[in-house]
Amino acid sequence: MTRTSVDRRAPAAPRRVRPAGYAVLRFKRATFLAHRRATAVATALALLLAAACLAYLCVGESYVQPVEALKVVLGMPSPDELVVGTLREPRMTVGLLVGAAFGVAGALIQTVARNPLASPDIIGISQGASAVTVAAMTFGLTSYTVLPYLSVAGGVAAALLVYAFAWRGGLHATRFVLIGIGFAIALRSVTTLFMTKGDYLVAQQAQIWMTGSLNGRGWAEAEPLALTLLVLLPFVAWAARAQRTVSMDDDTATALGVRLGRVRTGLVLLGVVLASVATGAAGPVDFVALLAPQIARRLTRTAQIPLVCSALLGALVVVLADLLARRLFSPTELPVGVLTAAVGAPYLIWLIVRSRSVRNGGTA
Amino acid sequence: MRVNARRAVVMTAAVVALLLAVLFSLAVGARAIAPSAVLDALLHGGHSDAAEVVREMRVPRTVLGVMVGAALAVAGTALQGITRNPIADPGILGISQGASVGVVIAIAYAGTHTLTGYVWYAFAGAALAAVAVYAIAASGRGGATPVKLALGGAAINALLVSVTTGILTTRAAALDEYRFWQVGALSGREAAIVGQTWPFLLGGLLLVLAVARGLDALALGEDVAKGLGQNVALVRVVGGLGATVLTGVGVAAAGPIAFIGLAVPHIARALIGGDHRWVLPLAALLGPVMLLVSDTAGRIVFPPSEVPAGVMTALIGVPFLVTLVRRKAVAA
Repeated sequence: MTRTSVDRRAPAAPRRVRPAGYAVLRFKRATFLAHRRATAVATALALLLAAACLAYLCVGESYVQPVEALKVVLGMPSPDELVVGTLREPRMTVGLLVGAAFGVAGALIQTVARNPLASPDIIGISQGASAVTVAAMTFGLTSYTVLPYLSVAGGVAAALLVYAFAWRGGLHATRFVLIGIGFAIALRSVTTLFMTKGDYLVAQQAQIWMTGSLNGRGWAEAEPLALTLLVLLPFVAWAARAQRTVSMDDDTATALGVRLGRVRTGLVLLGVVLASVATGAAGPVDFVALLAPQIARRLTRTAQIPLVCSALLGALVVVLADLLARRLFSPTELPVGVLTAAVGAPYLIWLIVRSRSVRNGGTA
Repeated sequence: MRVNARRAVVMTAAVVALLLAVLFSLAVGARAIAPSAVLDALLHGGHSDAAEVVREMRVPRTVLGVMVGAALAVAGTALQGITRNPIADPGILGISQGASVGVVIAIAYAGTHTLTGYVWYAFAGAALAAVAVYAIAASGRGGATPVKLALGGAAINALLVSVTTGILTTRAAALDEYRFWQVGALSGREAAIVGQTWPFLLGGLLLVLAVARGLDALALGEDVAKGLGQNVALVRVVGGLGATVLTGVGVAAAGPIAFIGLAVPHIARALIGGDHRWVLPLAALLGPVMLLVSDTAGRIVFPPSEVPAGVMTALIGVPFLVTLVRRKAVAA
């Protein structure tokens, strides 16, 4: 009898639910949860990125006063218009966009695979994009407005192949990574095949492109890239929300009415498209997609890989690396990919050494 | 007795397959030459066009194919035995790429343009990469699992590829020589390479064969091997050295050719069982078969141009890797 009386009693009304570490922002009927630490990290990264960009514009063959550089960016007349506005600014813009795209791509693919090593440059996506692009180059196609589309087609095709062959009543992370590595090797050899087909100048161009280079990029490349990414932006916004559901186990998701399979496919597809777009614009800049999301997650300490911070970090890595690549052996400009690889490969190695159990799809 | 009969049949079949592959490689090409004419050119000489083509171009190419195929297949067998890892392969583990970087450095900085010059750089690069990959994979928990080895290889591969590109960007003149060598092919190699290769090949084969019994013991597990009185460390060092020399010489002679070291050992074990004293010789016979068939097929698919052998082996090797990985034993 006492039991029923207890049951009848109305449950204590919950006070405001405020998850730890989150700030709740209410705007009329909409409520936003902002992870405090992530917001702080994102702000700091944005400031750092702005500083890096300014340095990028100022440092080079000739040094430009920061004030003059700012004037150019703001569209005010300046004697350094040519150096900053025509040469450095568009190249930097391509770097920013490419870095951000790689960062988000890596974050999405790593989230779905639940494995930091499932990065587009390891599992054959970048190599697929490269193979198609270099093939097109050797057949005389060198326009940077067409190449990106071919690159996307190549990346998506490679991803589909790896996905199809790794699928066996489910997607096992280990199988996915191993088969991806196999495809990466095979596609790399197809790329070298096309390198020998073209003449020497094409080979040289392809060689530089393949390492990921921002050399000689201008507004002609930056504009279509920016436009493509703008089109993809709503999908990224969707991904940021959908990302949370992916960490659920299958039963919970089904109970909540989430079509987990579709969400996963959508996230991977978006990641592949982003990585391929970036590869098309600047070549496969190695390890950015691997590095940026992992550093972002460590900085923010969130359960999910934060997309905004990944994008900012990707941009920061590429801009800084390209700044170094331009100056290190000047007057020779190294492809930016050489530097990202020089930083990324040791990091990947550290990740492997540290990992508790990579084979079970566990994370580092 | 039945086991021995089976071994005899398999080895005989492998020898026959190799002879056919050699004949195939000598007869097929931009101009097809009848097998009888090939034999005639080899045995009786003569100065017909066909005889000249066979002797001057196809014989060196075929001999090189036999040597490189054997080197890579035996290297793969040794690596799989040492690491007890079914997907070990000089290409996947980054050892070939290490040898490639050695060659690039030789071309770009040392002014070396001959195989005997290359080969020492290739050995050094291969050895460094091999040690690095194994050290990476073996450290941390769980030891050198297949995935950790493959990932370590992928990391080393990516790093070395970018080192290569960095060098080639600053030394543009080296690119033209390197890009043709890099693709992995038997065509366009100097005939003199054959004469320079064989001592290294022989040395590497002897090193690996010397530890054949040790590899058998290792297959049972490290503890069992120790219990059987095998010096596990010595087996690994000698076998690893042999595999490194074989990879280095294979890469220096023909460029990085992937997947032969992966596929052939599995085929050999499936045919003849796990005894390394039989698997190693069988791999040495089957490796050349796979490489020569790939090379010859590459001449046929897009005439008149050729698809280099390295590309063909990669295209043949990927389905093999996929099958292997999809079998539960590897993924788990």
